[in-house]
Amino acid sequence: MTGPVRLSLGRTRSVCPECLDTIPAERFAVGDTVYLDKTCPAHGRVVTPVWRGLRSYDVWSRSPRATALPVSVKTDIAEGCPRDCGLCADHRQQGCCVLIEVTSRCDLVCPVCFASAGRHGVDMPIDEIGIALDELRSGSGQVHIQLSGGEPTVRDDLPAVVALVRAKGFDFVQLNTNGLRIGREPDYLAALADAGLDCVFLQFDGVSDAVYRQLRGRDLLAAKRLAIASARAAGVGVVLVPTLVPGVNTGEIGAIVDFAKQQMPTVRAVHFQPVSYFGRNPRAPSDEDRITLPEVMEALIEHAGGAIGLEDFRPGSAENPFCSFSGRFAVDRSGRFRSDPEPGTGCCGSQTGNTTGEAGCCEATTWRSPAVARAQRYVAGQWTKAPQEEMPAAGLEAFDAFLEQQSQRLSLSGMAFQDAWTLDLDRLRQCHIHVAKSDGRVIPFCAYNLTDLQGRSLYREPST
Amino acid sequence: MTGTSGDIPDLVCARCDKPLEMRKVEASYLGQTFPVELPCCPSCGFVYVSEELASGRMLKVEQALEDK
Repeated sequence: MTGPVRLSLGRTRSVCPECLDTIPAERFAVGDTVYLDKTCPAHGRVVTPVWRGLRSYDVWSRSPRATALPVSVKTDIAEGCPRDCGLCADHRQQGCCVLIEVTSRCDLVCPVCFASAGRHGVDMPIDEIGIALDELRSGSGQVHIQLSGGEPTVRDDLPAVVALVRAKGFDFVQLNTNGLRIGREPDYLAALADAGLDCVFLQFDGVSDAVYRQLRGRDLLAAKRLAIASARAAGVGVVLVPTLVPGVNTGEIGAIVDFAKQQMPTVRAVHFQPVSYFGRNPRAPSDEDRITLPEVMEALIEHAGGAIGLEDFRPGSAENPFCSFSGRFAVDRSGRFRSDPEPGTGCCGSQTGNTTGEAGCCEATTWRSPAVARAQRYVAGQWTKAPQEEMPAAGLEAFDAFLEQQSQRLSLSGMAFQDAWTLDLDRLRQCHIHVAKSDGRVIPFCAYNLTDLQGRSLYREPST
Repeated sequence: MTGTSGDIPDLVCARCDKPLEMRKVEASYLGQTFPVELPCCPSCGFVYVSEELASGRMLKVEQALEDK
């Protein structure tokens, strides 16, 4: 036998990166890498690496699949996935976190941007935000809200927007931001916190200005530090969100974790996002332009020097397992990680779910998905500010030690967004991160941001 | 029970009419055990948990364990 052994791992559907037509696709492994292989009748074959690490692929593929029907169906099935989003009756998960793009303006113009935002965008009028929230509440139920953009903090009325989200009955509000304004104006963040902001989802690509210059076009590390200082003063939890680009900041994964430890308990988590090629990334990426989730886990494990292992990370439990990983770790006084295993998050509350493939271990339900509710509780518990320390009290040291240990836990997670090359419609159908449109539709994040090779989008309106 | 004076509880067991004493007890919740010192009746072993403790530290510990 000659040539590498090709191991087929199942069939799915994807899109052609040139025309976005839905086409059959196959997952296969050669060596330690899993690829997505598809051929468009008009534009030819595309093979893209999606997972480099067969050991974790095996673990992730045995993870239970939690599925649920949408709380409400807003669109008819006509052209088929991914062109009917709203959600349609074929979607198989409910919203966990829903993004509202409150502006298309931005005070940075980054080479890497999901949103193709620029300086000359527009704000969504606040009454329109109110309508979108009402639609969301009736159509999706109790979801977490992420205020996104553009850069939301270009709006002076953002505290009123946060207050509106709260007044509409949503329990958790996070702000997706580059951190520039909140760092410069601590009072602005304090006003957001007073209005009910729970968490700052802070774009944080590295610990050296070289990284920011390459990804964002200017030095930003000092601005990031100021943003964290403002969050500390305002009592808001911070999640550091690095966009990982091979050759630019993948060498700083460990250093970002060390930085996060130094900034605890204000910094509660690091949420890595391997770069995806949509928005302002219209060129066809090469295999070397991609880093996959198991490579991020490997870098984290290696950096921890034996303190943590693959068994400390778990697949996404509400979304498709291959969309994410997460682990939560105690940090001891010397700054070293200690594995802090949690009870299993198997579907239906069981510790060990059955592997039943697409159908999942729960019957699809039209009521609130328990897996989504659990994912929301995890985020609300870990990504907000740590519990305040109590004054010491004699005899109660055991309680205090436990509470301090809780505040000294750091969550490390990653989410792999899909682009036109990596899109696997089995994964997309289980997507639980959605974007709210003002007409009441909610679009799964990766469908919303999907662009073809020329940058044309299915759902996103062109930036104005 | 009667009120407290300062940090040292001036408490009497309602059933045994004996002053409570600080003793080592174990508080357990969801499989985790915490060795703490709380006012106890030396006669019947009754453990007093103040409202402040129940709605403060102890609630935070319970919530953290429930969240795990």
